[in-house]
Amino acid sequence: MITQSSALSNTEDSRSGEMSKAGGRTLLRILWLALMAAGIVGLWQRFSYGHNAAGYGSYVPWGLWIALYFMGVAIGGGAFVFGALGYILGWEGFEKKADLRTAIILSVAAILPAFMVIWLDLGRMDRLLSVFTSATFTSMIAFNAWMYNSFLVVALICWLLSFKDESLWLRPLLCLGAFLSVLFPSQSGVFFEAVGTKQYWNSPLLSMMFLSSALAAGAGSLLLVRTLQTSAEASTGSPARESDKGIRTLRFITVAALLVYLAFEFAELSIAVWRPSAESRSVDFLIRGDYWWVFWVVQLLIGALVPLALYLLSTSRSAWGLASVLLIVGFVAARMGILVPGQVVGQIQGLQAAFQDSRLTYAYHPTQMEYLIGALMIAVGMAVFYIGRRLTAALAVNSEQKA
Amino acid sequence: MMKTEKKPMDRREFILAGGLVGAGVAVAAVSVVKDRTPGPPQDPTGEGTVRKLSVLQKVKEHPNEDDHVRMQRELVRAMAKPAEHRHWMMVIDIRKCIGCQSCTIGCVAENKLPPGVVYRPVTTQEFGTYPNLRIEFLPRPCMHCDAPPCVPVCPVRATWKRPDGIVVIDYDKCIGCRSCLNACPYGSRTSDFGRYYSDGAAEGAPTGADRALDGPRSPYEHQPSNEYSKNWKREGHESPVGNARKCHFCLHRLEVGQLPMCVTTCIGRATYFGDSNDPKSLVVELASKHNVQVLLEHWGTKPQCFYIV
Repeated sequence: MITQSSALSNTEDSRSGEMSKAGGRTLLRILWLALMAAGIVGLWQRFSYGHNAAGYGSYVPWGLWIALYFMGVAIGGGAFVFGALGYILGWEGFEKKADLRTAIILSVAAILPAFMVIWLDLGRMDRLLSVFTSATFTSMIAFNAWMYNSFLVVALICWLLSFKDESLWLRPLLCLGAFLSVLFPSQSGVFFEAVGTKQYWNSPLLSMMFLSSALAAGAGSLLLVRTLQTSAEASTGSPARESDKGIRTLRFITVAALLVYLAFEFAELSIAVWRPSAESRSVDFLIRGDYWWVFWVVQLLIGALVPLALYLLSTSRSAWGLASVLLIVGFVAARMGILVPGQVVGQIQGLQAAFQDSRLTYAYHPTQMEYLIGALMIAVGMAVFYIGRRLTAALAVNSEQKA
Repeated sequence: MMKTEKKPMDRREFILAGGLVGAGVAVAAVSVVKDRTPGPPQDPTGEGTVRKLSVLQKVKEHPNEDDHVRMQRELVRAMAKPAEHRHWMMVIDIRKCIGCQSCTIGCVAENKLPPGVVYRPVTTQEFGTYPNLRIEFLPRPCMHCDAPPCVPVCPVRATWKRPDGIVVIDYDKCIGCRSCLNACPYGSRTSDFGRYYSDGAAEGAPTGADRALDGPRSPYEHQPSNEYSKNWKREGHESPVGNARKCHFCLHRLEVGQLPMCVTTCIGRATYFGDSNDPKSLVVELASKHNVQVLLEHWGTKPQCFYIV
């Protein structure tokens, strides 16, 4: 009798789980369609009006897309490093090849749309390949472009090797990939530091801030993906214990890396506040300027304090997933907080008034087109991840059948 | 029961991992060091760059001739040397500048600059309060730094310092990443966003014979620019649209024995130009005789535009 009612309850659970899984999928599809539709409008604006539909100009040449680009590569690097290290070191919840593949796909799905955005940001999109054919490695852009692409090749090979039963090369290549994925987020910070003539960017702490934020964002994104995966598995009644252990580890790493980032950021800003110099104009803009709320509300409150509270105080996996989304939003705001204040401070007094033009101002306001392309970036990332998962599933079945 | 795949790395895997990471580091280090090591100039040097110009050949030299005529003679003298033996510099006497913006406009006209692109703006600064008031004007061309921060950041070698000291941009190579714009502390580089002054000017205008403008854009905006002694047509999103642009000391004019446009249009005789390798040149004389300063010296960019203050 008990067995019968338990079986009945299991069937009902499974049915309601199937329904919630289907509901979740529908929601994700609607979200993707909305993002893609918005992105296509942005793409149309970009190709119809060129850079004139954007908010950046000659005195503030880099805007939202550069921040999104650095966010994409940060997630890519962070996700890969934990997926690879977890697999190599055999951390609980990371030791399966399926977990490794998820991390690799997430990493690629974050980096490819970042490349798309940086391509759209170029004044001469037709000359993109020059970065590879005529590169000069005195430039961080060229160095980073080569590094990201080398990483993508390594990641692709690792993904393919993961379908083999035994491979001598898988873990050594994962070590190389992990090395690169630690290197390029920190080099993203050096990208700004290397612009030696901007006081605000001229701090070695930036590379550490970019690295810690990459680790937090990468671990957080992996946590989000695995939360969604676990809830899908749970809804179908599949065991999800190993994955759950992985989620707990990722939660710990995310919180630790976020706290390290905040400590670095405090160190960076407090120096500028206590020793006023040229860079304090940028700091002033950050904390009291037109976009003060981006720093205080979006980055610190919504992007750091709320996620910390959710990670530490809640036991719900959905809350942790939400915390990861907020964390990423916060880090985009943090990147804007590095990018924009560094550029809005001119060094030649009166230059803005000397020759008046909308593109010759020390101000930056992201435009609708820039936000829409941001939506496209997310949609493309989701699509790459989905395709990667489907390909993985197909190849995994194929390799199992062969075995 | 789920099968776990936990297995420590063996010795061979360790050696392979170390080899891969080591090889990656070595390739990166060699690439950076190789590109940091100064190579031969990418511009022609030697006798091929000597210009035998006939400018002012028939005008007799006399001791008190106008500064412009003197600079013109010095220009001809400098151009008679190979490129690597001349080093251009500019001296601006801000005590003489009246802020008329003739240089700005002359430059815009000479180089057919579109909206948002400016090579030589003149800043205005007020000091003190009425009646103890002073206004200073500061023309700001490209500084043609001897240690230009804009050059190494270019990912595609599209900008470099020539043997004669001029920092140039190859519009056919520039990808428009705008790194150089951020690297220049003087704000000397601007991006060509593909705009036209008369865009939208004819909107709402009567059609037919009464139409004030011929087509959506005025014909003068289709005139090619002669920068770098080439014909640059911006139509159809051709370069320099999408490129970084900057002052090049009117290189195309120098080649034919003409002073830069900003020098010739300066009605206050406040801008001087010449070869700093020529000890008899006016610019060297002015720079050594007066109290000269450079902008933002602390960045160590070694600007080649000097201000008499």
